[in-house]
Amino acid sequence: MVTLTELKKDTRALLCNSCAKCSTACPLDGFAGFSPVRMVSVGPTADEVREQAVAAQRCLTCSLCEIRCPQGVHIAEFARGLRREATDGLREPCPHGQVFQAAAVPEWAGRVPSRDLSWIDEDLRVAETGEIALFVGCLPLFDALFEDRFGVRTTDIARSAIRALNQLGIEPVVVAEERCCGHDLLWGGDDDGFATLARANADSFAARGVELILTTCAECCRTWRLDYPEAVPEYQPRVQHLVEYLDERLQADELAFRDDDTARTVTYQDPCRLGRHLGVTDAPRRLLDAAPGVELAEMDRSGADAVCCGTAGFIHCDAASRRLQAERLASASDTGATTLLTACPKCLIHFACAQNEDGRRNRPSPAIEVEDLTIFTTRMLAGLEASSPGTNGERTEAVT
Amino acid sequence: MIGGDVRLDGGAAPHLLLTVPELQADPISVEAVAPAPCTMACPAGVNVKAYVSLIAEGRFAEALDEVRRRCTLPSVCGRICHAPCEPACTRSVVDGPLAIRALKRFVADVGDDDRVVAPVAVSKDQAVAVIGSGPAGLTAAHDLRRAGYQVTIFEAKPELGGMLRYGIADYRLPPDVLDAEIAAVLGVGIDVETGHELSSYEDVTALMEGGYDAVLVAVGAQRGRLLAIPGEDDSAAIEDALGFLRRVNEGDRTSVEGKVIVIGGGSTAIEAARTALRLGARPVEILYRRSRDEMPAGHEEVVQAEAEGVTFRFLAAPQRAVIRDGRLTGIECLEMELGEPDGDGRRRPVPIPDSTFFAESDRVLAAVGQEAVLDFVPNDDAAMVDRGLLAADEGTSMTRWWGVFAAGDVVSGPATVIEAIAAGHEAADSIAAYLETGTPRLPRSLHAPAVEYGLADPPPVESPPVPAPVLGLEPGDEFAEVEQAYTADQAVAEAGRCLRCGPCSECAACAVTCDRRHLLVGLAPDGATRPRTWLPLRTTAAVAGRLRANGSAAGGVASASGDTTDAAVEVRPVVVDYVEERCRGCSLCLDVCQFEALALRNPDDPESRVVLDPAACRGCALCAAVCPTAALRPAAHADGWWDAVLAAIFEPDTGDEAGPAVVVTCDTRPHAGSPAEGDVVACRCVGQVHPGMLLELARRGATRITVETCADCRFEDGARLAQQHVEETSALLAALGGDATSVTLVPAARPGAPDQAGAVSDALAMALRGEGG
Repeated sequence: MVTLTELKKDTRALLCNSCAKCSTACPLDGFAGFSPVRMVSVGPTADEVREQAVAAQRCLTCSLCEIRCPQGVHIAEFARGLRREATDGLREPCPHGQVFQAAAVPEWAGRVPSRDLSWIDEDLRVAETGEIALFVGCLPLFDALFEDRFGVRTTDIARSAIRALNQLGIEPVVVAEERCCGHDLLWGGDDDGFATLARANADSFAARGVELILTTCAECCRTWRLDYPEAVPEYQPRVQHLVEYLDERLQADELAFRDDDTARTVTYQDPCRLGRHLGVTDAPRRLLDAAPGVELAEMDRSGADAVCCGTAGFIHCDAASRRLQAERLASASDTGATTLLTACPKCLIHFACAQNEDGRRNRPSPAIEVEDLTIFTTRMLAGLEASSPGTNGERTEAVT
Repeated sequence: MIGGDVRLDGGAAPHLLLTVPELQADPISVEAVAPAPCTMACPAGVNVKAYVSLIAEGRFAEALDEVRRRCTLPSVCGRICHAPCEPACTRSVVDGPLAIRALKRFVADVGDDDRVVAPVAVSKDQAVAVIGSGPAGLTAAHDLRRAGYQVTIFEAKPELGGMLRYGIADYRLPPDVLDAEIAAVLGVGIDVETGHELSSYEDVTALMEGGYDAVLVAVGAQRGRLLAIPGEDDSAAIEDALGFLRRVNEGDRTSVEGKVIVIGGGSTAIEAARTALRLGARPVEILYRRSRDEMPAGHEEVVQAEAEGVTFRFLAAPQRAVIRDGRLTGIECLEMELGEPDGDGRRRPVPIPDSTFFAESDRVLAAVGQEAVLDFVPNDDAAMVDRGLLAADEGTSMTRWWGVFAAGDVVSGPATVIEAIAAGHEAADSIAAYLETGTPRLPRSLHAPAVEYGLADPPPVESPPVPAPVLGLEPGDEFAEVEQAYTADQAVAEAGRCLRCGPCSECAACAVTCDRRHLLVGLAPDGATRPRTWLPLRTTAAVAGRLRANGSAAGGVASASGDTTDAAVEVRPVVVDYVEERCRGCSLCLDVCQFEALALRNPDDPESRVVLDPAACRGCALCAAVCPTAALRPAAHADGWWDAVLAAIFEPDTGDEAGPAVVVTCDTRPHAGSPAEGDVVACRCVGQVHPGMLLELARRGATRITVETCADCRFEDGARLAQQHVEETSALLAALGGDATSVTLVPAARPGAPDQAGAVSDALAMALRGEGG
């Protein structure tokens, strides 16, 4: 059990001078019930800790506050630490019927499940063992719940990733015993559950000889790169978001876009986990810059200053989430772009949800298409002509 | 709240039946038990506990609605009712009864300032003439008019109200209060004809021939009796108190000089004394032949009269008026003592020999009784008159004249306003039955036999009643209202003293909310001394036994009958658990709610959240299944039901490696008897069991999960959602590497169709065995 003092020490919260710049930066500012500065400066009484442990569940953990904090307090980590104090009765129920939390829990009645990999089209080449692996994450689960609801098929992201890697001559390892990366358990305050998952995944991937783990999800990427080494110190593979990897290959002239003179203006949503948590803001932009005909129009706030899509993981959602989504979509639309790209399936789903909701409630909705960056990039790679799967909402046949 | 873990007979594995509303198999009949003593004491059957409970909750308008169901004149009763409910109050034995009349006065005053009474449509082609506009006449007219009959009130005086207007002084019942009350009664569409006196038999027949299908005589007992002593007819200074009051109430405020003696011990005596005092008489003395304890007048009235300066001389009876030179000088009286109780239980006054004394007096007001003026009854019709009153059948209120009914003081002799209201209701019921069927209503008893309710253990903390404020006699404003109303805080505090005797508050709001009597019932926590939401409820012995077996039945009340047992349980409608802070306003829930219990707070505001109308909600929680943010959850989940279900299914180590089978089913069709093997999870609607729950069952090791759907259910989307959830769960299980076929959907047996149950059970069994279908 970590004490409050230890938590404050670990996250530099002891250095907080209550300047409240965090609260000014917080996207939740204006919604009742949460204030980063109040959370970070929480006092030692049990009541106060309990109160802030409840409030901390609303934190987006987007870390926008952290880039303003003059003392360098790890505010999101602090929120995560406080959430551990929210015991059963105080814990907010998770959205979507807690289905992702249920899916994430490591114990599966004593059995090790073997995932269905039939979504990998026959023309795609994957390996049982090897140095480079694709961590698929929750994408097949999302399809089970969201494909019919608002036409988001997130396995297309994984298919695109495999296709792009195949194009580079790589047959990535896909592990059937793969489990949830544990992001939502970790950020929900369940450290033990997370550690078990991390151990199980690390064992599976280590056993396959994997030395580079690629993800298409910003949250998986952050979790593998920053949180797994703490939980499983003996296994330290390289971890990259596929976008980073493609960028590296591009810089090494191993990757080429095909010629396409279609002019398109796009904008890019930096996922919190990729942009602020991992500092990856240039790689996606270099990729888009190299793509022929693509012009990147930046939103008002981008890069390290980008605003969250409204929810981290599937931990908490409310009217604040809705407003952030609406504002972000409007901001994207204001750039003149026709497509909003993102490198995180959660952002994709949350924006698609907001657009679907606007449609249902007959609200004016910014006319902008939301698409995943991996799909968008793969579609333009040389040698993958015209028929790559997965524009948002369209079902396309596999490449022949 | 966990219902129970009733172990059904089964194989080696334990079979659990887990349901939320444990008592659904034993529907609770709120009507079947005796009401609280206060309600029982009310002649008109006003549900006292219901409105007191509502006042305690701050729900004043609803409280007034509850009062109005049986009390036509809440403002009047709130001021002058003799409140037989108060002495009946169980709290009397603790620290004094609730000030129930003052509470009624409070809600009548504040309950609904903006109420508009709309005329009721005439739906019947019959008409009723009501003669007299006192409380009995007004009540009957109101009831009959609301039932759709045309009603005309005939009143001899220029203004309506009868004894309320002409017999009750303004300082007790201000005329504007009475006017408003009567206006509200007439507002339903009652015609009025004033100046119409019933003075001959022809007046009655004229009505019957003039288009009225029934006549109600409610003319009251208008004539005050005199003392029947020598000399009283020789001086105008001796008159009946009622005549005196009537004159004053008609506006005659001529001052009264000298010493006044009032004879009598009832309300009229007190009223006459206090009125004389207000007109300048000094001193004013009341002479009563029994003692203070036997006075029929209300205790507060006596206290207030004394405070204003009225003096009392008990155990004295007038014998002779003493008149000198044509002028009254006083009355000769005898001292009395109390002998054996007489017919009405009061001790009879017996004269003391040689105790004559002289009481000096300039004026004497006799308040010793009233009689009906029955000029309209032909002299030879002895069957119509009984001891000076109009004879009417006790059960049907009909007189010997077919189609002519009678109610109120004209039948009973001088009584109280609430008794007149009660008589008005009964006459109206009977008249309606007569007009409908040609036969007046047969006698029926309004009340169940009395039950004495004891005190909870431990007894309530003492907290004496809050007295309503009383104003003193102000020179220049003598007829201003004396008793004042509670403030809202005082009313809530006073109502909060209610001990809630008897079964719940009998408001039957649950029955209105719940057409299937689905009520969430749980145990009161240990040591609870009747907190507000925990109402003692009569349950069957079997159910109470089960409740006790599960925990403890706190509280409990003494019961007169042996075949039922009381347990303190909570009754509240099953309503979905809604936390507005979690709502993002997506409006998905609006599509599945068929009861219109959910709506956007402001449809024009793009950021509007949803509001829940608990009265409309039926608790199916299908909205919770589609709510993406967990703002809506099945009610039971807020109480930790789901966690307990999981624990009950998976925590016992059965040594069975295969893991349990689970059947998810609707809680209204008992699963017992079905061939399905497995632990039964009974819930309000299977449509609320979303993929997260099904996945959790599978993840924990359930080998088979069978969801029973009802094709005929009133929760229209339940089956569709259940099917969607099963499909989604299968897909999730497939993606995760679980057994996608372990979750299946089967149709449940139709309720009330046992002949089909077998076939459905077979389908169920087949599905469970993994065979076709």
